[in-house]
Amino acid sequence: MLADLPWNVIALQLFFGLALGCIYVLLASGLSIIYGLLDVVNFAHGTFAMLGAYAVFAAVSLSGSFFVGIVSAIVIVGLIGALTEFLLLKPLYGKDPLLPLLLTFGLSVAIPDAMKIVFGLIGKPVNFPNALTGATLLGPMILPNYRLFIIFFTLFIMISLWLFLKKSDLGMIIRASTRDSLMVQVLGVNVSRIWTIGFAMGIGLAALAGAISVPMMSATPDMGVDMTMVAFVVTVVGGLGSLGGAIVGGLFIGLVVAITSFIAGEYASVSMYVCMAVILLVRPRGLFGEWGRE
Amino acid sequence: MANDSEPTVVRYSDPTPKPTVVFGALVFLVFLPLIVSTPLATEILIWTIFGLGFNLLLGYTGVLSFGHAAYFGLGAYSAGLAFRYWNAGLWTGIGLGILAPMLLACFIGVLAIRRRGVYFAMISLAFGQMLFFLALSPLKEITRGEDGLTHIPVMSIFSVSLNKPLPFYCFVLIITAVMLFVTWRILQSPFGKLLQAFRENEERARACGFNTTLVKFFSLVISSFYAGLAGALDTIFLGYVPLSTLFWLTSGTIVMMTILGGRGTLLGPLVGAGVFLFLQNTISLLTPRWELFVGAIFVAIILLFPAGIVGTIQEKFATYRIARQKT
Repeated sequence: MLADLPWNVIALQLFFGLALGCIYVLLASGLSIIYGLLDVVNFAHGTFAMLGAYAVFAAVSLSGSFFVGIVSAIVIVGLIGALTEFLLLKPLYGKDPLLPLLLTFGLSVAIPDAMKIVFGLIGKPVNFPNALTGATLLGPMILPNYRLFIIFFTLFIMISLWLFLKKSDLGMIIRASTRDSLMVQVLGVNVSRIWTIGFAMGIGLAALAGAISVPMMSATPDMGVDMTMVAFVVTVVGGLGSLGGAIVGGLFIGLVVAITSFIAGEYASVSMYVCMAVILLVRPRGLFGEWGRE
Repeated sequence: MANDSEPTVVRYSDPTPKPTVVFGALVFLVFLPLIVSTPLATEILIWTIFGLGFNLLLGYTGVLSFGHAAYFGLGAYSAGLAFRYWNAGLWTGIGLGILAPMLLACFIGVLAIRRRGVYFAMISLAFGQMLFFLALSPLKEITRGEDGLTHIPVMSIFSVSLNKPLPFYCFVLIITAVMLFVTWRILQSPFGKLLQAFRENEERARACGFNTTLVKFFSLVISSFYAGLAGALDTIFLGYVPLSTLFWLTSGTIVMMTILGGRGTLLGPLVGAGVFLFLQNTISLLTPRWELFVGAIFVAIILLFPAGIVGTIQEKFATYRIARQKT
């Protein structure tokens, strides 16, 4: 089926898959950071991405600038994340490890309904920013500018994140706390605050993923569940708690979804779960997972 | 890792549920249709059966499945398809509705039960969504997609038609009583004691020479038996199979009910299902946004009373008894 098509059509689908994969990478890396640092699987991850989408909508209608929208989405939703961790999750540490997970699940049930009350049931569209409409010609291929922007922007974010974690003092403390938080605490660091910061960072990444996907698929209250699902599948495929796994897994799943929705549209939503089942069969710890953490 | 230090596990165990309490609950259930409407009472019983199985897995074994809608929905669809296309009898349909989810549980169990808790929760949720999307679009020809499976013939037992509320309530009540007894027997059996031992300390149980993976696997399969049965009964009750039986919120609902009622207590699922459905029905009279309130109540329960209604009452009762013994 694929062989009959001109190669540039296939290449364009791969390009779409790459852009989609970039959004998945942002989602899954946020989930991974939170899990690595706090041992909490955030069931409300997609819900926070949904909040990011609405934050962009609100900020764009107020200020008119898409980039102000993106920044305010990260900041506002990141702060909501920090508050959530501080008020709701902190009391649960050291108790049954399933409780934080159940709590975030409760949030993912309640928050979309709150958004329905505030913004209504109908999706809120955001226009493509003026600077990013149109397309770039690359040989015989026409590449939409907005998707090019997503790819380069994600690249920029991931490199900044990597530099931050590798080079900065705070990043070093975060990596150390991921390894052994008790030891870091013994060395005199306020680990509790590091957890709040880490949680806010992960939520900020989720909000960013929601924010940049809005112009392609308007913000709806129920978009969160699908995004949580994507984050989970990518994390299982890539390996839990591994940033490299989130990147490779995200791009891989993005490509798979784009290709299946092109050749067999009705299987598009199923394909990523099939991928996950296959990975679980042949490599249970995920592509980049460490033994013992699964 | 936040939970690196030894977690102080609160014990929710309910070692010997008193027969008087269980019989009392059953007598109460006989009169339930006088308190709430018969359809609501039936719904409570169906979710109770579902919850009894789910509690076996979450409350007694300590395994959190977030994809139990897959077993419930598969049971509902298998029974519905058998009734509609094969003109299957009542018991054949229910039997198929139980068998199919058990096979699915075997498959998911083999793939994922080895994984540690949170990982299993994620994987089970993802498989549940997979089934939902399969029924939604690729299998639309058979499942009728978003419309749900309609035109299911009316079932009858001993020539009593089950489409009238009260006879069907009695039918479900008998099954609920049987399942309550079966659950009670399972918990008294060596197998049941093993489940509880794993929840308390899996490492130690393994060190004692028990195959923890195998027992968790069986716990999952048994739990899917209950879910399938509940799903099949739901099909007969509604007369059609809505796609929402496979939706993630169905998995979430059974989690919330079990936590609300008290996980690891025999009567927790019954109390949880009753309170949850009563709240849901009452709130949705006032506002269509019942999920907001139910979600918020659930968050509050997790923060304030993680042992749930029955669990908290038991704890209070135990502290009261200890206090009285001292004086």
